[in-house]
Amino acid sequence: MIKENAEVVVVGGGVIGVSLAYGMVKKGAKVILIDKVDNRLTASRGNFGLVWFQGKGKGMPRYVEWCIEAIERWPEFAENLETETGFDLNYEKTGGLEICLGEEEHQERVNFIEEMSHASRSGRYDCEMISRKELQGMLPKIKLGKEVSGASFCSHDGCVNPLILLKAMNISFQQKGGGYRPEQSVQKIECNSNDFKIETGTHSFKAEKLVIACGLMTPKLAGMVGMKVPVIPERGQILVTERTSRVFNYPTAGIRQNYDGSFMLGSSHEAVGYNIETSYEVLQNIAKRAIRILPSLKNLQLIRSWAALRVLTPDQKPVYLESDQYPGAHAITSHSGVSLASIHSSILVEWILEERIPPGFTAFHPKRFNVQEAI
Amino acid sequence: MNSIRVPKFDYIIIGAGPAGMAAAITARAHGLSVLVLDEQPSAGGQIFRNIESLEATRNSEFSKLGQEYEFGSSLVRRFKKCGADYFTDRSVWQIDNNLQIHHVSASASKSNSVISHCQAKRLLIAVGAMERPMPLPGWTIPGVMPCTAVDVLYKSSGLIPDGEVVLAGSGPLLLLIGCRLLDVGVHVSAFLDTSMNGALLKALPLLPNALRSHKYLTRGLSLLWKIRKAGIPFYSGIQNIEALGSSKLEKVRIGKSGKFFDVTADLLLLHNGVVPNVQITRNLGCEHRWYDVQRYWEPIVDDWGNTSVDHVSIAGDCGRVAGAAISEVSGHLAALETVYQLGVISKVERDNLSQPHRIELARQKHVRPFLDKLFQPSKTWLVPENDKTLACRCEEVKVSEIRETVRMGIKDPDSLKSMTRCGMGYCQARMCGLTVSEIIAEEKKVSPEEIGYFRVRSPIRPITLGQLAEID
Amino acid sequence: MFKKQYESHETVSIIFEGKNLDVEIGQTVASALLVGGNMVFRSSVVSGQPRGPYCMMGVCFECLIEIDGIPNQRACMIPVREAMKIKRQQKTKSE
Repeated sequence: MIKENAEVVVVGGGVIGVSLAYGMVKKGAKVILIDKVDNRLTASRGNFGLVWFQGKGKGMPRYVEWCIEAIERWPEFAENLETETGFDLNYEKTGGLEICLGEEEHQERVNFIEEMSHASRSGRYDCEMISRKELQGMLPKIKLGKEVSGASFCSHDGCVNPLILLKAMNISFQQKGGGYRPEQSVQKIECNSNDFKIETGTHSFKAEKLVIACGLMTPKLAGMVGMKVPVIPERGQILVTERTSRVFNYPTAGIRQNYDGSFMLGSSHEAVGYNIETSYEVLQNIAKRAIRILPSLKNLQLIRSWAALRVLTPDQKPVYLESDQYPGAHAITSHSGVSLASIHSSILVEWILEERIPPGFTAFHPKRFNVQEAI
Repeated sequence: MNSIRVPKFDYIIIGAGPAGMAAAITARAHGLSVLVLDEQPSAGGQIFRNIESLEATRNSEFSKLGQEYEFGSSLVRRFKKCGADYFTDRSVWQIDNNLQIHHVSASASKSNSVISHCQAKRLLIAVGAMERPMPLPGWTIPGVMPCTAVDVLYKSSGLIPDGEVVLAGSGPLLLLIGCRLLDVGVHVSAFLDTSMNGALLKALPLLPNALRSHKYLTRGLSLLWKIRKAGIPFYSGIQNIEALGSSKLEKVRIGKSGKFFDVTADLLLLHNGVVPNVQITRNLGCEHRWYDVQRYWEPIVDDWGNTSVDHVSIAGDCGRVAGAAISEVSGHLAALETVYQLGVISKVERDNLSQPHRIELARQKHVRPFLDKLFQPSKTWLVPENDKTLACRCEEVKVSEIRETVRMGIKDPDSLKSMTRCGMGYCQARMCGLTVSEIIAEEKKVSPEEIGYFRVRSPIRPITLGQLAEID
Repeated sequence: MFKKQYESHETVSIIFEGKNLDVEIGQTVASALLVGGNMVFRSSVVSGQPRGPYCMMGVCFECLIEIDGIPNQRACMIPVREAMKIKRQQKTKSE
């Protein structure tokens, strides 16, 4: 058994775990990051790479504000990472679109934006509806399909290469002295008065603080340290085309043209358990919708596809929790790990290391689910 | 999808090479409804490529190809008469779990060629083998090709190389193609033998078996003699090969015992063995194992070609590579198994009918272990030492980048893919998959068996979004 | 560099990079271009390196070329047709 000590052990090498670990070593903490053996079910390697705000947080104004803050920190966060590692994250903050087909979708979107604007505490919802004509004006190089009725546009939104982001944070973490331990599966957690002992098959780690951010495995590990964190998997399928010249310069939730010219198309929301197979019907539906929005896409060749599992809490908003039973043990789970990487690596790190609790933090406590159940 | 409109078959066979054709013939003989899908415009697979046309219109060349080709020709004739539905120019791009198969034209240059679907009760994958990629510095320069490429050009199009040709690699196929080139007057300016030192010695324990079918052995030796007799510069123990040229190949730099010298070349033909094309079996989720002697992945099958996936079997060189004769036999056996599984014959009948094929298999099979051992791919040519060599041609990922990523802590191919883009290009890891398994294995000091392979996703080959959406 | 070993029979006329080329029926686009001495079919999408046909059997995707305005077609799998317009493709740059 290899023995190692640290101030903090982070369990989970996905975008959330890595952003936390990265933020912590930047603060000078001695951190070990444990990554699992089986990388097939990871959401971080299967996502769309949106740095996104619009559409998020309905029903939880605190989360809306959290998202705005995260997105405002993103440009500096990206610049720092690029300077530290020399990698180009391909981060583009162009503003983002949700394109509507037909009148019904359009009206639904109008209503949604209005609702969110009213609910916004800071009044900074910054999302507006644009007409089909305005939208076509924003896209001079590609023709919109006949059914496109308009879109919502949010200037905060953008996109990034999520794989390079993951790689850059990991490398910067290691460069700053962080210990990356892949191929580890946590088997046992021992809670002592001053520290935690985490055992994998080959290693035994000791740390004052423990951070559990391992996606779909979070409930299991959190349960070992007295925390109840409910998550469910939700499958999303994505298509990637061949490269072509850049014609579509704004990301949308279902279509984006990557920096290298390939188009990524998504996605689905399927409750299929832990199944990461792709399915003909879903891929076909994604292609159909994309073509209805941008008809010239029909001539692009599809090169590959994949499916990955989102990690969703019951209301799809984050859970940030410290164990009552074993203080020092934390559990973090969230959708939007990419968009929130900037705030996870800063404010959340302050919460973990310095116990600086952000205002309104109780909104993210999982007891809110019990309240919902009770109702 | 309206399942009424989808044509159903008892047996769908992908690939019309020796294995696929034999399977179709046997299945049809027992009354099964059979559909054969093949990408090429005519039957024969790679070895018997364009054989009907060769026999009909280029008969003098055809007769020079040897007795094996007469057998091939006869097989094609029997296949064409057996009553199977046979669609040429079809490329399978997706196979569903329930064995619904989606295919599209392999050659249509108009992107709106239509997708077709069909439904199988049982599926045979008989897509054959491909050349093992032989990465070396400069291997992406136009003018560097695997040796079978000239075989294809010769058989399908009647083309022969014009200019200086260098042959490099090891394996019986390289010798065979080398001799054919000499026969048609091609100027071979050098033969670079990369086979492992002492290979013949290692293979000797297997020699007694091989001699039972000595014609293979003597043919191989005669090829070697022929090349040497023609006065072609023959270099063995080669440690480095680099292809050089600006927009196309100009010369080949050869390194032997620390000394380097250049040979002018217009064409560099490489060969480092033949490996099963596992793209479809991987996509279906069949279990594979690592065949260490020849350093490739093969689907795990039983004596009838059944894979680990229900109702899916393989035949021919997309499993253990064994050549046309054995491929044909394995096709018959796989079909008999299917006929039995579909309840048309009993187990005893199946076993009885398989006897002649089993005997033939035993007769042919013993030579393979000898050849496999004799022509084991050597390490130098599996894991490029020169770090700047491209491991992934499509995405231009260097060997050095892969090594660095493994040293960063990444061990499984799919994570490596995320980090480097290796395997994300058009060919979807057909050209780099083996190399990646080897590099990671070397870095981690384990067998590639432990490392595994990329997950192969749909589409099995590219299709347009318009085709997928099934719009006009 | 390749040459025909026997006399051509029926031919069709195709257009490669604006120039007419008479090629035998039954040739693939790849073999037709190779006979004409054209080894370079495209520049690679990543770095612009010159690339040409490699495996000739449809597995490597190196022989991608633009045919009748549609890019990224496997030349080794496509038979020539009368009046086919073939163009090399350049690396697509993201702007």
